[in-house]
Amino acid sequence: MTNHWIDLQNADVIMVCGSNVAENHPVAVRWMEEARKRGAVILSADPRFTRTSAFADRYCPLRSGTDIAFVGGMIRYAFSNNRLNYDYLRDNTNASFIVKPEYAFNDGLFSGFDPASATYDKASWAYETDENGVPLQDPTMTDKRCVLMRVKAQYKRYRLKTVCGIVGAPRYLYEKFCDLYTGTYENGKAGTWLYAMGGTQSTHGTQNVRAYSVLQLLLGNIGIAGGGVNALRGESNVQGSTDMALLYNQLPGYLAAPAEKDKTLADYLAARTPKSADPKSANWWQNTPKYVASLLKAWYGPAATRENDFCYDWLPKYGRDCSYVNLFSGIESGDIRGLVLFGQNPAVSGPSCQRQLAALSRLSWMAAVDLFETETASFWKRPGANPSDIDTEVFLLPAVASVEKAGSITNSGRWAQWREKALDGPGDTKPDLWILDALYRAVRKEYERGGVFPDPVVNLAWNYDGADQEPDPRKVAQEINGFFVAEATANNRSFMAGDQAPSFAFLLDDGSTACGNWLYSGSFPGPKPEDNRMAARGIKQGDDRIGLYPGWAWCWPVNRRILYNRASVDANGQPRDPARWVIRWNAEKSAWEGDVPDGPWPPGDRYPFIMLPEGHARLFAQGLADGPLPEHYEPWEGPVQNALSSQRHNPLLLSAKGKGPAKEPGSPERFPVVATTYRVGEHWQAGALTRNTPWLIELVPSAYAEIGEILAMMLGIKNGDRVVVETARGSVEVYALVTKRFGTFRVGGKILHEVGLVWHFGYEGLARGASANVLTPDIADPNSRIPEYKAFLCNVRKAAEG
Amino acid sequence: MKAMLVDTTRCTGCRSCQVACKQWNNLPAVQTRFFSDGSMQNPAHRSSKTWAVVTFHELPKNNRPGLFFGRLQCFHCVDPACADACPVHALKKTKLGPVVYDPGLCLGCRYCQMACPFNAPRFDWDKPVPEIRKCTMCYDRVAAGGRPACVAACPAEALAFGERSEMVAEAEARIRQSPARYVAHVYGKNEVGGTCVLHLAAVPFESLGYPSGLPDEPVADHIRSAMHTVPYAMATLGLALGAVAWVVNRRMENTGDKPDKAE
Repeated sequence: MTNHWIDLQNADVIMVCGSNVAENHPVAVRWMEEARKRGAVILSADPRFTRTSAFADRYCPLRSGTDIAFVGGMIRYAFSNNRLNYDYLRDNTNASFIVKPEYAFNDGLFSGFDPASATYDKASWAYETDENGVPLQDPTMTDKRCVLMRVKAQYKRYRLKTVCGIVGAPRYLYEKFCDLYTGTYENGKAGTWLYAMGGTQSTHGTQNVRAYSVLQLLLGNIGIAGGGVNALRGESNVQGSTDMALLYNQLPGYLAAPAEKDKTLADYLAARTPKSADPKSANWWQNTPKYVASLLKAWYGPAATRENDFCYDWLPKYGRDCSYVNLFSGIESGDIRGLVLFGQNPAVSGPSCQRQLAALSRLSWMAAVDLFETETASFWKRPGANPSDIDTEVFLLPAVASVEKAGSITNSGRWAQWREKALDGPGDTKPDLWILDALYRAVRKEYERGGVFPDPVVNLAWNYDGADQEPDPRKVAQEINGFFVAEATANNRSFMAGDQAPSFAFLLDDGSTACGNWLYSGSFPGPKPEDNRMAARGIKQGDDRIGLYPGWAWCWPVNRRILYNRASVDANGQPRDPARWVIRWNAEKSAWEGDVPDGPWPPGDRYPFIMLPEGHARLFAQGLADGPLPEHYEPWEGPVQNALSSQRHNPLLLSAKGKGPAKEPGSPERFPVVATTYRVGEHWQAGALTRNTPWLIELVPSAYAEIGEILAMMLGIKNGDRVVVETARGSVEVYALVTKRFGTFRVGGKILHEVGLVWHFGYEGLARGASANVLTPDIADPNSRIPEYKAFLCNVRKAAEG
Repeated sequence: MKAMLVDTTRCTGCRSCQVACKQWNNLPAVQTRFFSDGSMQNPAHRSSKTWAVVTFHELPKNNRPGLFFGRLQCFHCVDPACADACPVHALKKTKLGPVVYDPGLCLGCRYCQMACPFNAPRFDWDKPVPEIRKCTMCYDRVAAGGRPACVAACPAEALAFGERSEMVAEAEARIRQSPARYVAHVYGKNEVGGTCVLHLAAVPFESLGYPSGLPDEPVADHIRSAMHTVPYAMATLGLALGAVAWVVNRRMENTGDKPDKAE
């Protein structure tokens, strides 16, 4: 989230699109209700009428996979009705920047497309620059080639009627949404956009999120209280694990992981450190060398020296796509022979999970760390498998639950909150840290006896033992915060070896600091347990003004509660919304008040978006693989032709064998019903925890498909019947929940039906059932590589009796 | 006197309250196969093992889909008919508000169930001598100065707890402030002489499964004299029903088809 949970109370309009917040983040509704008490309107756009829709003031149907059309129509509505925050756009965004004349968009394709490789050459998406490389601007934002006019041209085709014919919503409902939401363009009005996997799990998921961002910038809703683009994370600590480099292409703190082309540290830094010729650009990523050097010092300790590039050579360099979907291709092909799973259950949660299950038997060994024996851990005895045909050696390591260990979790609002252990785990269960520590020691022992390339293993800095000789999570947290390994002067302050770093502003690139994750520097700035700011629980009078609560837990970066808050003030540092100000410049004291500002500089000294080299938020962006502006495409398995261009789906989807999904997409003729998957509040992810909890099983005992009354009537299906849902990947038999809450979609002159399935179930545990992921395609977004779980095609029929 | 305020317009149907109730009162889960009628509701009814249930109602509004929630439990009447009806005074109204009971005294006569306008008391029919079971408003917690477990668990602040007079005032204030959001009625303010569980709703209460047409006078006044004439007949009937349940359960167990049983 750019903002945080409590900040929802400051919004005037809360748009829930691509999320089912009331079911999957139940505590959030408390803050949404606070907003409503102040007169806020809550909007819910979703394929079905969910419990969030029930909580919301208004509902608009939205066919799965059509978010960009939905948002694009709002963007056009904002332009047509002059609902743009021009001051905000000029000061804070690249609206006035001039794009290269070669840039073009034609019939669903941006300039630079190479059909043979299905990739874009992005050169024509760049800005025009002056002789120093500073982008040219038109402050009036009227030049045809300026970004704002490019955006306007892009969404000209997204007329109300066209959009309604794509998303399948009645016009009067959609138009009301456009009116209410774009009404937040005024200073003093705030609109917040809440999304989750409904937005991201798509073959254009990254562009979905870009679309939300473009609209929010046009309306001036980023950086302000009650605004923001807010990703509601699907796990209590998924934010933390992403921050710590969950993904293969990242190092901790969103540093890029080195690829094969980054042969030396100098190559890597040259390619990965952005430059700006504009003195008013803070260009924060220019500090990349400091963060990388400190990270390598944290990992390799004394072995890492300036002379040996801090052991950069020891880092693995990836040469191909190692994302989740491709991991299983790697297992299938025999490239990957061992698998360690920490609390992950891909046999239930992975797309086309039957394919993944079959792949697991190719492994030599697997170690699963979990609370229960999951479907993945027991893949060798799954229904239909013959254990004697499977050679994989499987280890099951019992882990403690979250309340049975100490450590921090980082919530969606970027708050890292420390939790102490509440009770001991049962039997031989151990914390993940204990298991990792034991695993590392055992591996090192092996490498100390020799082996191929032992250096990175035997030289790892691994000093986490606490007083009781057990690994202490506080020591890990202190390393993540960073410390001085030698006497040094940083930012005009002197430090001794062993001092904790006060924040990332004190990290150095010469090897005198070590830091496990620059983004978390400042979270544990001292040696004592009470220096752990993640454990802080202080509330001061006045904290409830806009609910920042800076003394409660700690939030990255540098305890800044609302990101991009420099965009909330004018050139003199005065808030655009005086009633709900986030930061303001006190000219007398020559200091900022309120939240921690984006950088210490006085107002006007630096551009507001300090993480970008141009210092301005990007309406139009060169960064993504599949276009500088979000454009509507149908899902990979779309039910209709694209009404906006002849590009049916994202042109970057690879279909070459071996690289893409295992199977060809199902055709709408054979699979005429749109399908989507989701979770319910009563179950947790792949279900290992909740499908072993009788009280929760009582509430949602079995896998089911939600089917609208009209489709059910056409197919002769009654509530509680067993139905078979079939896709090109496979089929499942589940209960039918026949409901008034799933309507039909009038799309391109056709009436489309959609069904929804919960994916929590599997063949282990107290409550069993089919996982909806038997049905989902293993095709992924070209940027994030997130699979398209949320929109595909299926067939539904009543199951045979008996 | 304390009371709970259930604002069903704030409820999101998450059912944390249902689980918290079972956790605090150590009640077993009921085996369910699919949802009961009414969208995602489970279990279908209150029982000796389920003292409170969130009810789901798919009610289209202005030709648009709608989903509304109710909450059924013991309403803890100000002047409870059950307590008056109980021949052995197993049930009693406490000064703090909750209507509590002593299962050790219960005869299993089902008299209270007959008397209750909200059908709150339930019985363990699978025991030879059935005993009353119902929501106690977590009297143990309330007596210690706490809130009922369901109220503490509600993430949406749909449940509130406090002095009854304050809860009535709060409910009326909410209706006054948002007249479009609520039907202009605090359910339980006057029904059967008033209850200590008050409800607000966006749609008429009868459409959410709440008994309608209740008088403003305590039920107890009407039935007190009549009810006292037949307790022993009812006790006999109760025993007879218990015997029937025992036979039915035994047969079902013998055929391998498990009845409503804890896991």
